[in-house]
Amino acid sequence: MIEVPALGHGIGLRTEHYADVLATNPPVDWFEVISDNFMVPGGNPRRVLRAVRERWPVVLHGVALSLGAVDPLNERYLDALAALAHEIEPAIVSDHLCWGSHGGAYAHDLLPLPFTEEALANTAARVLRVQDRLKRQILVENVSSYVAFTQSTMPEWEFLTALAARTDCGLLLDVNNVFVSAHNHGFDARAFIDALPVGRVGQFHLAGHSQVGELLLDTHDHPVRDEVWDLYRHAVARFGAVPTLIEWDDKMPSLARVVEESQRAKAVAAEARSAAREAPRVAR
Amino acid sequence: MSRADGPTLAELQRRFFELVTGPEGVARELAARGVPAGALAAIIAGDARASAVDRLDVYANMYFFRILDVLRSDYPKLLAVVGDDAFHNLATDYLQAHPSRHPSLRFVGAALPTFVATHALARERPWLGALAALEWARVDVFDRADAAPLTREALAIVAPEDFATLPLAPVPASALVPAAWTIEETWRSIEDERGPQAPAPAEAGHALLIWRRGVTVHHRAVAAAERRALELLLGRTTFGALCTALGDEVDSEEDAAARAVQLLGGWLADELLAAPA
Repeated sequence: MIEVPALGHGIGLRTEHYADVLATNPPVDWFEVISDNFMVPGGNPRRVLRAVRERWPVVLHGVALSLGAVDPLNERYLDALAALAHEIEPAIVSDHLCWGSHGGAYAHDLLPLPFTEEALANTAARVLRVQDRLKRQILVENVSSYVAFTQSTMPEWEFLTALAARTDCGLLLDVNNVFVSAHNHGFDARAFIDALPVGRVGQFHLAGHSQVGELLLDTHDHPVRDEVWDLYRHAVARFGAVPTLIEWDDKMPSLARVVEESQRAKAVAAEARSAAREAPRVAR
Repeated sequence: MSRADGPTLAELQRRFFELVTGPEGVARELAARGVPAGALAAIIAGDARASAVDRLDVYANMYFFRILDVLRSDYPKLLAVVGDDAFHNLATDYLQAHPSRHPSLRFVGAALPTFVATHALARERPWLGALAALEWARVDVFDRADAAPLTREALAIVAPEDFATLPLAPVPASALVPAAWTIEETWRSIEDERGPQAPAPAEAGHALLIWRRGVTVHHRAVAAAERRALELLLGRTTFGALCTALGDEVDSEEDAAARAVQLLGGWLADELLAAPA
Protein backbone atom coordinates (compact mmCIF):
# COMPACT_ATOMS: atom_id res chain seq x y z
CA MET A 1 0.00 0.00 0.00
CA ILE A 2 1.09 3.59 -0.38
CA GLU A 3 0.49 6.75 1.56
CA VAL A 4 -1.45 9.17 -0.59
CA PRO A 5 -0.51 12.76 0.24
CA ALA A 6 -3.52 15.07 0.62
CA LEU A 7 -2.35 17.47 -2.04
CA GLY A 8 -5.55 18.42 -3.80
CA HIS A 9 -5.51 19.66 -7.40
CA GLY A 10 -2.41 20.76 -9.27
CA ILE A 11 -1.21 21.77 -12.70
CA GLY A 12 1.97 21.24 -14.66
CA LEU A 13 4.62 23.97 -14.45
CA ARG A 14 5.36 24.93 -18.04
CA THR A 15 7.89 27.37 -19.50
CA GLU A 16 5.20 29.52 -21.10
CA HIS A 17 3.70 30.23 -17.67
CA TYR A 18 6.84 30.76 -15.57
CA ALA A 19 6.51 34.53 -15.34
CA ASP A 20 2.74 34.42 -14.73
CA VAL A 21 3.05 31.78 -12.02
CA LEU A 22 5.60 33.80 -10.08
CA ALA A 23 3.77 37.11 -10.60
CA THR A 24 0.19 36.02 -9.94
CA ASN A 25 0.35 33.20 -7.35
CA PRO A 26 -2.41 31.23 -9.10
CA PRO A 27 -4.95 29.37 -6.93
CA VAL A 28 -3.62 25.84 -7.42
CA ASP A 29 -2.73 23.41 -4.65
CA TRP A 30 0.56 22.15 -6.11
CA PHE A 31 2.71 21.95 -9.22
CA GLU A 32 4.03 18.99 -11.11
CA VAL A 33 7.30 19.51 -12.96
CA ILE A 34 8.94 17.35 -15.59
CA SER A 35 12.02 16.24 -13.66
CA ASP A 36 14.16 16.03 -16.79
CA ASN A 37 13.73 19.75 -17.52
CA PHE A 38 15.28 20.65 -14.19
CA MET A 39 18.20 18.22 -14.13
CA VAL A 40 20.44 21.09 -15.17
CA PRO A 41 23.04 22.90 -13.10
CA GLY A 42 21.48 26.36 -13.02
CA GLY A 43 19.93 29.25 -14.88
CA ASN A 44 16.29 30.19 -15.18
CA PRO A 45 14.74 26.71 -14.87
CA ARG A 46 16.34 26.12 -11.47
CA ARG A 47 15.57 29.67 -10.32
CA VAL A 48 11.88 29.25 -11.17
CA LEU A 49 11.69 25.82 -9.57
CA ARG A 50 13.23 27.11 -6.32
CA ALA A 51 10.78 30.02 -6.24
CA VAL A 52 7.80 27.77 -6.95
CA ARG A 53 8.90 25.26 -4.33
CA GLU A 54 9.01 28.02 -1.70
CA ARG A 55 5.29 28.60 -2.24
CA TRP A 56 3.78 25.25 -3.25
CA PRO A 57 4.26 21.49 -2.88
CA VAL A 58 6.00 20.10 -5.95
CA VAL A 59 5.70 16.68 -7.56
CA LEU A 60 8.51 15.32 -9.78
CA HIS A 61 7.34 13.54 -12.92
CA GLY A 62 10.00 12.01 -15.17
CA VAL A 63 9.92 10.81 -18.74
CA ALA A 64 13.24 9.02 -19.19
CA LEU A 65 13.77 6.39 -16.50
CA SER A 66 12.84 3.94 -19.25
CA LEU A 67 11.56 1.48 -16.63
CA GLY A 68 10.64 -1.18 -19.17
CA ALA A 69 13.78 -1.06 -21.32
CA VAL A 70 16.28 -3.84 -21.77
CA ASP A 71 19.07 -1.26 -22.00
CA PRO A 72 20.96 -0.91 -18.72
CA LEU A 73 19.30 1.53 -16.34
CA ASN A 74 20.99 4.91 -16.79
CA GLU A 75 22.60 5.34 -13.38
CA ARG A 76 23.79 8.87 -14.13
CA TYR A 77 20.22 9.88 -14.88
CA LEU A 78 19.12 8.18 -11.68
CA ASP A 79 21.80 10.03 -9.72
CA ALA A 80 20.62 13.33 -11.19
CA LEU A 81 17.03 12.49 -10.28
CA ALA A 82 18.10 11.58 -6.74
CA ALA A 83 19.96 14.89 -6.41
CA LEU A 84 16.94 16.85 -7.65
CA ALA A 85 14.62 14.97 -5.29
CA HIS A 86 16.99 15.63 -2.40
CA GLU A 87 16.92 19.34 -3.11
CA ILE A 88 13.23 19.76 -3.95
CA GLU A 89 11.74 17.31 -1.43
CA PRO A 90 8.87 16.46 -3.76
CA ALA A 91 5.60 15.05 -2.44
CA ILE A 92 5.67 12.40 -5.20
CA VAL A 93 8.19 11.02 -7.70
CA SER A 94 6.81 9.28 -10.76
CA ASP A 95 7.64 7.96 -14.22
CA HIS A 96 5.97 5.75 -16.81
CA LEU A 97 5.34 2.11 -17.59
CA CYS A 98 7.24 2.21 -20.85
CA TRP A 99 10.65 2.06 -22.44
CA GLY A 100 12.41 4.74 -24.45
CA SER A 101 15.95 3.71 -25.26
CA HIS A 102 17.69 0.96 -27.12
CA GLY A 103 21.38 0.34 -27.64
CA GLY A 104 22.17 3.57 -25.83
CA ALA A 105 20.03 5.66 -28.18
CA TYR A 106 16.94 7.50 -26.96
CA ALA A 107 13.59 7.81 -28.73
CA HIS A 108 12.37 10.48 -26.26
CA ASP A 109 9.03 8.77 -26.31
CA LEU A 110 6.95 6.57 -24.02
CA LEU A 111 7.09 3.32 -25.98
CA PRO A 112 4.71 0.50 -25.10
CA LEU A 113 5.61 -2.83 -23.55
CA PRO A 114 4.32 -6.28 -24.28
CA PHE A 115 2.48 -7.47 -21.19
CA THR A 116 4.47 -10.64 -20.60
CA GLU A 117 6.09 -12.25 -17.60
CA GLU A 118 9.51 -11.40 -19.08
CA ALA A 119 8.65 -7.70 -19.35
CA LEU A 120 7.11 -7.73 -15.87
CA ALA A 121 10.21 -9.27 -14.28
CA ASN A 122 12.47 -6.82 -16.11
CA THR A 123 10.40 -3.78 -15.17
CA ALA A 124 9.99 -4.88 -11.56
CA ALA A 125 13.75 -5.27 -11.12
CA ARG A 126 14.28 -1.74 -12.42
CA VAL A 127 11.53 -0.21 -10.29
CA LEU A 128 13.10 -1.86 -7.24
CA ARG A 129 16.51 -0.42 -8.16
CA VAL A 130 15.06 3.07 -8.61
CA GLN A 131 13.19 2.94 -5.32
CA ASP A 132 16.30 1.66 -3.58
CA ARG A 133 18.39 4.52 -4.99
CA LEU A 134 15.78 7.19 -4.25
CA LYS A 135 14.94 5.65 -0.88
CA ARG A 136 11.23 6.12 -1.52
CA GLN A 137 8.29 4.60 -3.33
CA ILE A 138 7.67 5.86 -6.82
CA LEU A 139 4.44 5.98 -8.80
CA VAL A 140 4.35 4.28 -12.20
CA GLU A 141 1.98 5.72 -14.80
CA ASN A 142 0.02 3.88 -17.48
CA VAL A 143 0.78 5.38 -20.90
CA SER A 144 -1.40 5.90 -23.96
CA SER A 145 -0.54 3.31 -26.56
CA TYR A 146 -1.17 2.86 -30.25
CA VAL A 147 0.06 -0.70 -30.68
CA ALA A 148 -0.65 -3.88 -28.77
CA PHE A 149 1.65 -6.88 -28.96
CA THR A 150 0.31 -10.26 -29.97
CA GLN A 151 2.57 -11.98 -27.45
CA SER A 152 1.00 -10.22 -24.42
CA THR A 153 -0.29 -12.77 -21.94
CA MET A 154 -2.15 -10.43 -19.59
CA PRO A 155 -4.04 -7.16 -19.84
CA GLU A 156 -2.31 -3.92 -18.87
CA TRP A 157 -4.20 -3.57 -15.59
CA GLU A 158 -3.05 -7.02 -14.49
CA PHE A 159 0.53 -6.09 -15.38
CA LEU A 160 0.32 -2.84 -13.36
CA THR A 161 -1.27 -4.60 -10.40
CA ALA A 162 1.41 -7.30 -10.39
CA LEU A 163 4.16 -4.66 -10.75
CA ALA A 164 2.82 -2.79 -7.72
CA ALA A 165 2.56 -6.01 -5.71
CA ARG A 166 6.10 -7.12 -6.57
CA THR A 167 7.82 -3.80 -6.00
CA ASP A 168 5.53 -2.04 -3.52
CA CYS A 169 5.43 0.91 -5.90
CA GLY A 170 2.34 3.06 -6.33
CA LEU A 171 0.43 3.77 -9.50
CA LEU A 172 -0.21 7.04 -11.26
CA LEU A 173 -3.52 6.54 -13.00
CA ASP A 174 -3.67 8.67 -16.12
CA VAL A 175 -7.39 8.68 -16.77
CA ASN A 176 -7.01 10.15 -20.25
CA ASN A 177 -4.46 7.48 -21.15
CA VAL A 178 -6.90 4.77 -20.08
CA PHE A 179 -9.55 6.33 -22.31
CA VAL A 180 -7.17 6.68 -25.27
CA SER A 181 -5.78 3.16 -25.01
CA ALA A 182 -9.26 1.68 -24.45
CA HIS A 183 -10.40 3.27 -27.70
CA ASN A 184 -7.27 2.27 -29.61
CA HIS A 185 -7.32 -1.35 -28.45
CA GLY A 186 -11.01 -1.92 -27.88
CA PHE A 187 -11.11 -2.65 -24.18
CA ASP A 188 -13.46 -1.33 -21.50
CA ALA A 189 -11.94 1.73 -19.79
CA ARG A 190 -14.01 1.21 -16.64
CA ALA A 191 -12.88 -2.39 -16.38
CA PHE A 192 -9.26 -1.13 -16.40
CA ILE A 193 -9.99 1.23 -13.51
CA ASP A 194 -12.05 -1.33 -11.58
CA ALA A 195 -9.22 -3.84 -11.78
CA LEU A 196 -6.56 -1.63 -10.17
CA PRO A 197 -6.16 -2.09 -6.42
CA VAL A 198 -7.48 0.62 -4.12
CA GLY A 199 -4.64 1.84 -1.94
CA ARG A 200 -2.09 1.73 -4.75
CA VAL A 201 -3.21 4.72 -6.80
CA GLY A 202 -1.39 7.82 -5.57
CA GLN A 203 -2.11 10.34 -8.29
CA PHE A 204 -4.41 11.00 -11.24
CA HIS A 205 -3.55 12.70 -14.51
CA LEU A 206 -6.15 14.38 -16.69
CA ALA A 207 -5.47 15.76 -20.16
CA GLY A 208 -6.96 16.36 -23.56
CA HIS A 209 -6.45 14.10 -26.56
CA SER A 210 -6.95 14.26 -30.33
CA GLN A 211 -8.37 11.94 -32.93
CA VAL A 212 -6.17 11.22 -35.94
CA GLY A 213 -7.81 8.86 -38.39
CA GLU A 214 -9.29 6.03 -36.38
CA LEU A 215 -6.90 6.35 -33.45
CA LEU A 216 -6.87 8.65 -30.45
CA LEU A 217 -3.56 10.33 -29.66
CA ASP A 218 -2.48 11.60 -26.25
CA THR A 219 -1.66 15.11 -27.39
CA HIS A 220 -2.26 17.21 -24.24
CA ASP A 221 -3.40 20.04 -26.50
CA HIS A 222 -7.11 20.29 -25.66
CA PRO A 223 -9.34 20.66 -22.64
CA VAL A 224 -10.28 17.38 -20.95
CA ARG A 225 -13.00 15.69 -23.02
CA ASP A 226 -16.43 14.99 -21.54
CA GLU A 227 -15.95 11.22 -21.73
CA VAL A 228 -12.73 11.56 -19.75
CA TRP A 229 -14.49 13.66 -17.09
CA ASP A 230 -16.99 10.79 -16.78
CA LEU A 231 -14.17 8.31 -16.38
CA TYR A 232 -12.55 10.60 -13.80
CA ARG A 233 -15.80 10.54 -11.77
CA HIS A 234 -15.65 6.77 -11.92
CA ALA A 235 -12.01 6.75 -10.75
CA VAL A 236 -12.68 9.17 -7.89
CA ALA A 237 -15.62 7.06 -6.74
CA ARG A 238 -13.28 4.08 -6.57
CA PHE A 239 -10.02 5.57 -5.31
CA GLY A 240 -11.20 8.62 -3.35
CA ALA A 241 -9.42 11.94 -2.86
CA VAL A 242 -6.31 11.30 -4.92
CA PRO A 243 -4.11 14.26 -5.98
CA THR A 244 -5.16 15.22 -9.50
CA LEU A 245 -3.13 16.98 -12.16
CA ILE A 246 -4.21 18.79 -15.31
CA GLU A 247 -1.62 18.25 -18.05
CA TRP A 248 -1.52 20.74 -20.92
CA ASP A 249 1.60 20.75 -23.10
CA ASP A 250 0.73 21.91 -26.57
CA LYS A 251 -1.38 24.69 -28.08
CA MET A 252 -0.80 26.15 -24.66
CA PRO A 253 -3.57 28.41 -23.35
CA SER A 254 -3.17 31.07 -20.69
CA LEU A 255 -2.25 30.08 -17.16
CA ALA A 256 -5.74 31.19 -16.09
CA ARG A 257 -7.34 28.70 -18.50
CA VAL A 258 -5.28 25.79 -17.14
CA VAL A 259 -6.12 26.84 -13.58
CA GLU A 260 -9.80 26.92 -14.56
CA GLU A 261 -9.51 23.33 -15.79
CA SER A 262 -7.94 22.36 -12.47
CA GLN A 263 -10.78 24.00 -10.57
CA ARG A 264 -13.24 22.07 -12.68
CA ALA A 265 -11.43 18.87 -11.70
CA LYS A 266 -11.76 19.87 -8.07
CA ALA A 267 -15.50 20.41 -8.46
CA VAL A 268 -15.99 17.17 -10.39
CA ALA A 269 -14.04 15.22 -7.75
CA ALA A 270 -16.09 16.72 -4.90
CA GLU A 271 -19.29 15.86 -6.70
CA ALA A 272 -18.11 12.31 -7.44
CA ARG A 273 -17.03 11.69 -3.84
CA SER A 274 -20.33 12.97 -2.57
CA ALA A 275 -22.24 10.72 -4.98
CA ALA A 276 -20.06 7.76 -3.98
CA ARG A 277 -20.81 8.34 -0.29
CA GLU A 278 -24.52 8.22 -1.00
CA ALA A 279 -24.29 5.13 -3.19
CA PRO A 280 -24.22 1.64 -1.66
CA ARG A 281 -20.67 0.45 -1.04
CA VAL A 282 -19.30 -1.98 -3.54
CA ALA A 283 -16.89 -4.75 -2.80
CA ARG A 284 -13.29 -3.77 -3.41
CA MET B 1 -4.09 -13.07 -24.15
CA SER B 2 -2.56 -16.47 -24.38
CA ARG B 3 0.57 -16.28 -26.47
CA ALA B 4 3.84 -16.40 -24.65
CA ASP B 5 5.96 -17.13 -27.70
CA GLY B 6 7.39 -14.52 -30.05
CA PRO B 7 10.59 -12.51 -29.85
CA THR B 8 12.42 -11.90 -26.61
CA LEU B 9 11.91 -8.50 -25.03
CA ALA B 10 15.36 -7.43 -26.21
CA GLU B 11 14.66 -8.55 -29.76
CA LEU B 12 11.24 -6.89 -29.76
CA GLN B 13 12.66 -3.59 -28.56
CA ARG B 14 15.49 -3.73 -31.09
CA ARG B 15 13.09 -4.24 -34.01
CA PHE B 16 10.60 -1.67 -32.73
CA PHE B 17 13.33 0.94 -32.22
CA GLU B 18 14.81 0.40 -35.66
CA LEU B 19 11.44 0.74 -37.34
CA VAL B 20 10.28 3.88 -35.56
CA THR B 21 13.61 5.71 -35.89
CA GLY B 22 14.09 5.00 -39.60
CA PRO B 23 14.25 8.07 -41.84
CA GLU B 24 11.20 7.49 -44.02
CA GLY B 25 8.49 5.76 -42.04
CA VAL B 26 7.76 2.18 -41.09
CA ALA B 27 6.66 0.80 -44.47
CA ARG B 28 9.86 1.95 -46.21
CA GLU B 29 11.96 0.80 -43.31
CA LEU B 30 10.41 -2.66 -43.53
CA ALA B 31 11.02 -2.73 -47.28
CA ALA B 32 14.61 -1.57 -46.84
CA ARG B 33 15.18 -4.41 -44.41
CA GLY B 34 13.44 -6.95 -46.65
CA VAL B 35 10.77 -7.66 -44.04
CA PRO B 36 7.28 -8.43 -45.42
CA ALA B 37 4.56 -6.32 -43.76
CA GLY B 38 2.86 -9.57 -42.75
CA ALA B 39 5.78 -10.37 -40.47
CA LEU B 40 4.99 -7.24 -38.49
CA ALA B 41 1.38 -8.31 -38.06
CA ALA B 42 2.63 -11.43 -36.28
CA ILE B 43 4.07 -9.21 -33.56
CA ILE B 44 1.78 -6.20 -33.50
CA ALA B 45 -1.99 -6.51 -33.47
CA GLY B 46 -3.63 -4.41 -36.19
CA ASP B 47 -7.33 -4.23 -36.88
CA ALA B 48 -9.78 -2.93 -39.46
CA ARG B 49 -9.33 0.62 -38.16
CA ALA B 50 -5.53 0.76 -38.35
CA SER B 51 -2.97 -1.75 -39.58
CA ALA B 52 0.13 -2.70 -37.64
CA VAL B 53 2.19 -0.45 -39.93
CA ASP B 54 -0.17 2.50 -39.42
CA ARG B 55 -0.01 2.06 -35.68
CA LEU B 56 3.76 1.85 -35.60
CA ASP B 57 3.91 4.91 -37.84
CA VAL B 58 2.30 6.92 -35.04
CA TYR B 59 5.48 6.33 -33.05
CA ALA B 60 7.75 6.96 -36.04
CA ASN B 61 6.09 10.33 -36.61
CA MET B 62 6.16 11.30 -32.97
CA TYR B 63 9.84 10.36 -32.76
CA PHE B 64 10.81 12.58 -35.64
CA PHE B 65 8.55 15.55 -35.02
CA ARG B 66 9.27 15.76 -31.31
CA ILE B 67 13.00 16.03 -32.02
CA LEU B 68 12.43 18.32 -35.00
CA ASP B 69 10.52 20.68 -32.68
CA VAL B 70 13.44 20.77 -30.27
CA LEU B 71 15.95 21.42 -33.06
CA ARG B 72 13.76 24.21 -34.44
CA SER B 73 13.61 25.74 -30.99
CA ASP B 74 17.37 25.41 -30.39
CA TYR B 75 18.35 26.68 -33.87
CA PRO B 76 15.82 29.38 -34.84
CA LYS B 77 18.37 31.41 -36.83
CA LEU B 78 19.65 28.41 -38.78
CA LEU B 79 16.01 27.59 -39.51
CA ALA B 80 15.39 31.16 -40.68
CA VAL B 81 18.31 30.92 -43.10
CA VAL B 82 17.60 27.53 -44.70
CA GLY B 83 13.78 27.47 -44.45
CA ASP B 84 11.34 24.84 -43.20
CA ASP B 85 11.81 22.19 -45.87
CA ALA B 86 15.59 22.19 -45.91
CA PHE B 87 15.65 22.22 -42.11
CA HIS B 88 13.31 19.23 -42.05
CA ASN B 89 15.63 17.31 -44.36
CA LEU B 90 18.67 18.42 -42.40
CA ALA B 91 17.05 17.07 -39.22
CA THR B 92 16.34 13.76 -40.96
CA ASP B 93 19.95 13.41 -42.07
CA TYR B 94 21.24 14.55 -38.70
CA LEU B 95 19.25 11.98 -36.73
CA GLN B 96 20.54 9.19 -38.93
CA ALA B 97 24.11 10.28 -38.23
CA HIS B 98 23.59 11.34 -34.62
CA PRO B 99 20.81 9.47 -32.85
CA SER B 100 20.17 10.95 -29.42
CA ARG B 101 22.55 9.54 -26.81
CA HIS B 102 21.30 11.42 -23.78
CA PRO B 103 18.05 10.83 -21.89
CA SER B 104 17.22 14.54 -22.07
CA LEU B 105 16.12 16.27 -25.26
CA ARG B 106 18.19 19.19 -24.01
CA PHE B 107 21.26 17.63 -25.66
CA VAL B 108 19.74 16.24 -28.84
CA GLY B 109 21.08 19.07 -31.00
CA ALA B 110 24.60 19.15 -29.57
CA ALA B 111 26.30 17.80 -32.70
CA LEU B 112 24.32 19.82 -35.25
CA PRO B 113 26.94 22.60 -35.64
CA THR B 114 29.66 20.18 -36.75
CA PHE B 115 27.15 18.15 -38.76
CA VAL B 116 25.73 21.08 -40.73
CA ALA B 117 29.23 22.38 -41.42
CA THR B 118 29.86 19.37 -43.66
CA HIS B 119 26.28 18.93 -44.91
CA ALA B 120 25.34 19.65 -48.53
CA LEU B 121 23.48 22.75 -47.28
CA ALA B 122 26.83 24.30 -46.34
CA ARG B 123 28.17 24.21 -49.90
CA GLU B 124 26.44 27.46 -50.76
CA ARG B 125 26.67 28.88 -47.27
CA PRO B 126 29.92 27.70 -45.67
CA TRP B 127 29.10 29.76 -42.59
CA LEU B 128 26.10 27.65 -41.48
CA GLY B 129 28.27 25.72 -39.03
CA ALA B 130 29.42 28.98 -37.43
CA LEU B 131 25.84 30.19 -37.08
CA ALA B 132 24.78 26.89 -35.52
CA ALA B 133 27.79 26.96 -33.18
CA LEU B 134 26.70 30.36 -31.88
CA GLU B 135 23.14 29.14 -31.38
CA TRP B 136 24.26 25.99 -29.59
CA ALA B 137 26.59 27.95 -27.29
CA ARG B 138 23.62 30.13 -26.34
CA VAL B 139 21.55 27.01 -25.56
CA ASP B 140 24.45 25.57 -23.62
CA VAL B 141 25.12 28.50 -21.30
CA PHE B 142 21.40 29.03 -20.65
CA ASP B 143 21.25 26.44 -17.88
CA ARG B 144 24.84 26.07 -16.76
CA ALA B 145 25.67 26.47 -13.09
CA ASP B 146 24.88 29.73 -11.33
CA ALA B 147 27.62 31.83 -9.76
CA ALA B 148 27.69 35.18 -8.04
CA PRO B 149 29.56 37.72 -10.19
CA LEU B 150 32.68 39.46 -8.95
CA THR B 151 31.84 43.08 -8.13
CA ARG B 152 33.82 46.31 -8.18
CA GLU B 153 33.15 46.62 -4.45
CA ALA B 154 34.84 43.26 -3.82
CA LEU B 155 37.82 44.32 -5.95
CA ALA B 156 38.11 47.65 -4.16
CA ILE B 157 39.16 45.97 -0.92
CA VAL B 158 41.97 43.94 -2.52
CA ALA B 159 45.32 45.26 -1.25
CA PRO B 160 47.56 46.58 -4.07
CA GLU B 161 50.28 44.06 -3.22
CA ASP B 162 47.76 41.21 -3.65
CA PHE B 163 46.67 42.22 -7.15
CA ALA B 164 49.33 40.22 -8.96
CA THR B 165 48.09 36.98 -7.44
CA LEU B 166 44.40 37.90 -7.64
CA PRO B 167 42.68 34.84 -9.11
CA LEU B 168 40.42 35.52 -12.07
CA ALA B 169 37.77 32.99 -13.06
CA PRO B 170 34.84 33.27 -15.45
CA VAL B 171 31.26 32.52 -14.45
CA PRO B 172 30.52 28.88 -15.40
CA ALA B 173 27.88 30.05 -17.88
CA SER B 174 30.40 31.38 -20.39
CA ALA B 175 32.00 30.12 -23.59
CA LEU B 176 34.32 31.38 -26.28
CA VAL B 177 33.55 30.20 -29.82
CA PRO B 178 36.07 30.90 -32.61
CA ALA B 179 34.33 32.17 -35.75
CA ALA B 180 35.83 32.49 -39.20
CA TRP B 181 32.84 34.64 -40.20
CA THR B 182 31.19 37.73 -38.76
CA ILE B 183 28.33 35.44 -37.89
CA GLU B 184 27.10 37.75 -35.14
CA GLU B 185 25.92 40.08 -37.90
CA THR B 186 23.84 37.32 -39.49
CA TRP B 187 22.39 36.47 -36.08
CA ARG B 188 21.54 40.12 -35.46
CA SER B 189 19.91 40.59 -38.88
CA ILE B 190 17.52 37.72 -38.18
CA GLU B 191 16.88 38.84 -34.62
CA ASP B 192 15.98 42.30 -35.92
CA GLU B 193 13.74 40.77 -38.62
CA ARG B 194 15.74 42.35 -41.44
CA GLY B 195 16.03 39.00 -43.21
CA PRO B 196 19.14 36.83 -42.98
CA GLN B 197 22.27 38.74 -44.06
CA ALA B 198 25.25 36.66 -45.12
CA PRO B 199 28.33 37.26 -42.94
CA ALA B 200 31.71 38.41 -44.19
CA PRO B 201 34.92 36.48 -43.65
CA ALA B 202 36.24 37.59 -40.27
CA GLU B 203 39.70 38.85 -39.44
CA ALA B 204 42.09 36.30 -37.98
CA GLY B 205 41.38 35.57 -34.33
CA HIS B 206 37.74 36.64 -34.47
CA ALA B 207 35.61 34.89 -31.85
CA LEU B 208 32.32 35.16 -30.02
CA LEU B 209 31.96 35.39 -26.30
CA ILE B 210 28.71 33.88 -25.04
CA TRP B 211 27.74 34.24 -21.41
CA ARG B 212 24.78 34.44 -19.09
CA ARG B 213 24.15 37.45 -16.95
CA GLY B 214 21.49 36.63 -14.37
CA VAL B 215 19.14 34.47 -16.42
CA THR B 216 19.69 36.23 -19.75
CA VAL B 217 22.12 34.92 -22.37
CA HIS B 218 24.29 37.46 -24.17
CA HIS B 219 26.95 37.25 -26.84
CA ARG B 220 29.37 39.69 -28.44
CA ALA B 221 32.15 39.57 -30.95
CA VAL B 222 35.73 39.80 -29.68
CA ALA B 223 38.83 40.66 -31.68
CA ALA B 224 42.08 38.72 -31.55
CA ALA B 225 43.66 40.66 -28.67
CA GLU B 226 40.75 40.23 -26.28
CA ARG B 227 40.32 36.67 -27.47
CA ARG B 228 43.77 35.72 -26.22
CA ALA B 229 43.01 37.34 -22.86
CA LEU B 230 39.66 35.55 -22.67
CA GLU B 231 41.32 32.22 -23.43
CA LEU B 232 43.53 32.83 -20.42
CA LEU B 233 40.52 33.80 -18.32
CA LEU B 234 38.46 30.79 -19.35
CA GLY B 235 41.36 28.58 -18.35
CA ARG B 236 41.43 30.49 -15.01
CA THR B 237 44.29 32.84 -14.42
CA THR B 238 45.56 35.61 -12.17
CA PHE B 239 45.71 39.31 -12.78
CA GLY B 240 49.51 39.08 -12.83
CA ALA B 241 49.54 36.35 -15.46
CA LEU B 242 47.12 38.37 -17.54
CA CYS B 243 49.45 41.39 -17.40
CA THR B 244 52.41 39.22 -18.37
CA ALA B 245 50.58 37.82 -21.36
CA LEU B 246 49.46 41.26 -22.45
CA GLY B 247 53.06 42.47 -22.12
CA ASP B 248 53.90 40.62 -25.32
CA GLU B 249 51.51 42.88 -27.20
CA VAL B 250 52.31 46.34 -25.86
CA ASP B 251 55.41 48.45 -25.40
CA SER B 252 55.74 48.61 -21.63
CA GLU B 253 54.66 46.98 -18.38
CA GLU B 254 52.62 50.07 -17.64
CA ASP B 255 50.78 49.72 -20.91
CA ALA B 256 50.15 46.03 -20.17
CA ALA B 257 48.77 46.83 -16.73
CA ALA B 258 46.60 49.59 -18.16
CA ARG B 259 45.28 47.23 -20.83
CA ALA B 260 44.59 44.53 -18.20
CA VAL B 261 42.69 47.03 -16.04
CA GLN B 262 40.69 48.08 -19.08
CA LEU B 263 39.76 44.47 -19.90
CA LEU B 264 38.95 43.79 -16.27
CA GLY B 265 36.61 46.78 -16.20
CA GLY B 266 34.73 45.49 -19.23
CA TRP B 267 34.44 41.98 -17.82
CA LEU B 268 33.21 43.33 -14.49
CA ALA B 269 30.57 45.38 -16.26
CA ASP B 270 29.54 42.30 -18.23
CA GLU B 271 29.35 40.24 -15.00
CA LEU B 272 31.63 37.76 -16.70
CA LEU B 273 33.89 37.23 -13.68
CA ALA B 274 32.87 34.90 -10.87
CA ALA B 275 33.22 35.94 -7.24
CA PRO B 276 35.59 33.68 -5.30
CA ALA B 277 33.65 30.70 -3.91
